[in-house]
Amino acid sequence: MKQNLKKAKRHLAKLRELVSKRKHPLTEVKEEKVLETLRKTREELWDKKFAART
Amino acid sequence: MLLVLDSNEFIFGFGFARKPSSEALLDTITEAPTHTIRIPRLIIEEVGRHLTPEEFREFIEYIISLTAIDEDFVVPFELGSKYEADGLKPADAFIAAYVEWTGADALVTENRHFLRQHDNLPFRVLNAADCIKTMKAFR
Repeated sequence: MKQNLKKAKRHLAKLRELVSKRKHPLTEVKEEKVLETLRKTREELWDKKFAART
Repeated sequence: MLLVLDSNEFIFGFGFARKPSSEALLDTITEAPTHTIRIPRLIIEEVGRHLTPEEFREFIEYIISLTAIDEDFVVPFELGSKYEADGLKPADAFIAAYVEWTGADALVTENRHFLRQHDNLPFRVLNAADCIKTMKAFR
């Protein structure tokens, strides 16, 4: 797969700009809390995928 | 280097919670063609859960500018089972199996506990700061 780094850079910059403009539940919380939230997200998504297969 | 980035690296790297090393990691990957990433659908969905539709569109464009998205079903079931038997939760076992399946050099995560108690992994587990050091040495 051919990388397009110029395009990637542009979208990364735009994404960071969008993120910086809004207040998000993960903003200004401790790192451990962010990791815990993401762990929960992973488990929820996995359970949903697994449930869909059974 | 071929890397798999955990969802937390993207969340920190996009600036939701300030983590300069994760931001620098994404910058390095976006600037250096010698380093490439692989990403499974599960991590796309994990990150997407925390983005607005507009942000998600930029995220997808960012990712597909760097790599292809691997569907979760491509990872052999037996690989995941091996890690589950080692005590990992099913979703974490899947991520470990995915990293092994891709043949990546490292899984990059800020989760200090993820896989670190497991010996003899066929890949390294690094945080963003250590990954950047390793990438510099790799050049």
